[in-house]
Amino acid sequence: MLRGSVRTLFERAGGIARARNARDKGWDRQVMNELAHAGVLGVAAPEAVGGLGMGLTAAGVIVEEVGRALTPEPVVSAIALAIGMIQRVCPGDAMLATAISGKIACALAWQERGLRGYSDQMACRFDGKVLNGSKAWIAGAVGADQLLVVAQNDSKPVLVALDADGKGIYSELRRQSDGSQLCDIGFVDAPGKLLAEGSVVSEALSTVVADATALAAAELVGVSAKALELTLDYVKTREQFGKPIGSFQVIQHRAVDLYVAQQVAEAGVSEVLARMHVFTDPRARAREASRAKARACSTAKRITRESIQLHGAVGYTDEFDIGLFLNRALVLSAWLGDAAYHRARWMDALEANEAGR
Amino acid sequence: MTDWNALSDEAFRRQVRTFFETEYPEELRHLPHRAKFAEIRQWHEKLYAKGMVAPAWPVEYGGMGLEASKLLIFYEEQQRWGVTRGRDMGVQMVGPLIIKFGTQAQKHYWLPRILTCEHIWCQGYSEPGSGSDLASLRTSAVIDGDYFVINGQKIWTTMAHDATHIFMLVRTDSHARKKQEGISFLLAEMNQPGIEVRTITTLAGEDEFCEVFFDNARAPRENLVGELNKGWTMAKALLGFERIFIGAPNLAQNALVQLRTIAQGRCMFNDPVFRDRFAKVALDVEDHAALYSRFADQLKRGEMLGPDVSMLKIWVTETFQEITELMIESAGPDGGLIGPLQLGNVGVDVLANFYKARPTTIYGGTNEIQRNILSKAVLGLPG
Repeated sequence: MLRGSVRTLFERAGGIARARNARDKGWDRQVMNELAHAGVLGVAAPEAVGGLGMGLTAAGVIVEEVGRALTPEPVVSAIALAIGMIQRVCPGDAMLATAISGKIACALAWQERGLRGYSDQMACRFDGKVLNGSKAWIAGAVGADQLLVVAQNDSKPVLVALDADGKGIYSELRRQSDGSQLCDIGFVDAPGKLLAEGSVVSEALSTVVADATALAAAELVGVSAKALELTLDYVKTREQFGKPIGSFQVIQHRAVDLYVAQQVAEAGVSEVLARMHVFTDPRARAREASRAKARACSTAKRITRESIQLHGAVGYTDEFDIGLFLNRALVLSAWLGDAAYHRARWMDALEANEAGR
Repeated sequence: MTDWNALSDEAFRRQVRTFFETEYPEELRHLPHRAKFAEIRQWHEKLYAKGMVAPAWPVEYGGMGLEASKLLIFYEEQQRWGVTRGRDMGVQMVGPLIIKFGTQAQKHYWLPRILTCEHIWCQGYSEPGSGSDLASLRTSAVIDGDYFVINGQKIWTTMAHDATHIFMLVRTDSHARKKQEGISFLLAEMNQPGIEVRTITTLAGEDEFCEVFFDNARAPRENLVGELNKGWTMAKALLGFERIFIGAPNLAQNALVQLRTIAQGRCMFNDPVFRDRFAKVALDVEDHAALYSRFADQLKRGEMLGPDVSMLKIWVTETFQEITELMIESAGPDGGLIGPLQLGNVGVDVLANFYKARPTTIYGGTNEIQRNILSKAVLGLPG
């Protein structure tokens, strides 16, 4: 039922065509409000704080639909990162209710650039009044009203809220393959409000990053599911040598392999989402999330690439929808770590777990 | 008599596990080859005394009468502990068919003898010209008075040299409209002048497959199970549990444990390339298990399995093969060694695993045939 109503909502909003429109117009505030109205943004938040309390499994169902429809709205980052963070570190703050109701859009900024990618050091400093430093790869930053920034005060982690159009905020936008913007932000004496400090911030951060990683996996599962559907339809109807190309065994076996891979991904990712909440140990939660993301990335990679091949020359055109799925999969795979990154993390966690026993 | 189904699933699992762990002979665990009956006779007697020879059969025929969830648990525990399937063609294949399609007299005569292993069965399906295209089989059975007279050849007949009886698909009508329609299901005694068995040595050096030659061999007419010319439909109706069994995660899981042992012994986990490849197969196994449990849940709810179950076999057998390739690589210069590779105080038989993995993509319907099934029956691709 949940799946059906979200699917209908996205279809009414304009379906896959919106992925093209979003190149110029960005994501649509109206659609985000409709999602909020349907309770989607608070799906995983407890009822006590105004959410639906349906957990990650239900959230996974919703974001699979987000993936299938190539929805431009930053649903995963809103549900898992922004709202997930507020609900954990400052559930009493009025910001939670306004975020769940869609009145304000928040983006969580925590990663920083190092010389060769992610930095292990947190260089962003908050002195109680203003923030200095820079953050990278901020999902959902374009169009956000509030920025939630993880920084350091003395040696304590803090969570700081800033008005996105406030003073001392300099953002750099670069376009990604699906038309969305990759956002880095520099802060120079930017005034902010302290939301929380101490280990509650760092613990919540590792939880919400794990949840967002697993939900990004579910979104990828949706992307590859729909890409496979379109491709199966195509090989059933496209004729060469006087018959549908889907009647040739070589095409059939390739299609079957994609289908089997997709089924494995659906089963693996939904098993992870169903049991994530059992793991209160952040390391174990992260390991499960890595399992899901590794699977979803490798499956989406395979299905979206092979879908182009099975479409033939038209698959390489912008006019055909199939390429939109490839372009979204590229962005979702890169975000929060790709398959190789997560396989490495999963291995590390597996060994750490056994060494700790 | 124990009412197994009255136990909770967890209690049942504990009982079965304890029974295997305390009663199953250590030296027979994870046998790399198919056992002859003489090797496992004492184990069979223990099972028989407990009434545990036929987990899936109804209680009235001497089975355990297990419901689907408990049946899965039984097999899971059996594989977990490396308990041999034994000479189970009678219990797994011919017994259920007789129970479903046989006459009272047939049930009365054959079933108890399957349970005691007085009769040990082999399966005569494949022929030299009929492998994947099984319905093209040509071994004929012609009625002559009270007997069928059988001529032709079967091949890949597992353990025929250690069997007292064969159940087979034979052509009883060579003029049938469709090749599937002229096939019957017939039982025959192996020890007779018209039957000759030759073993086939496998790549692994084992003699588990045979050729069986029929030269005017005879079987009494009452050995026909079900209706004449209806054998194909009957044999297909039998595949249910078989199809999830063949896609179970255990073979790959066991191999993965052994791969870890070798890799640790050889310090392979210091190599980032190896780590990535290990993580890949380990996750392939873990996510397959998630898919498997979806199908298992379907059975537990009492639903029939659809043709989509074929995907389990494709994924797990190919993963199993990949794992054994990594085992060989990890063994390095010992990769061609016959017998166990000693790592500290544990031994891992690398090539036994490798050879065991090879036929898994061939038997039970090759993976290519499974892909054909999925393509047509699940994806609805044309032609």
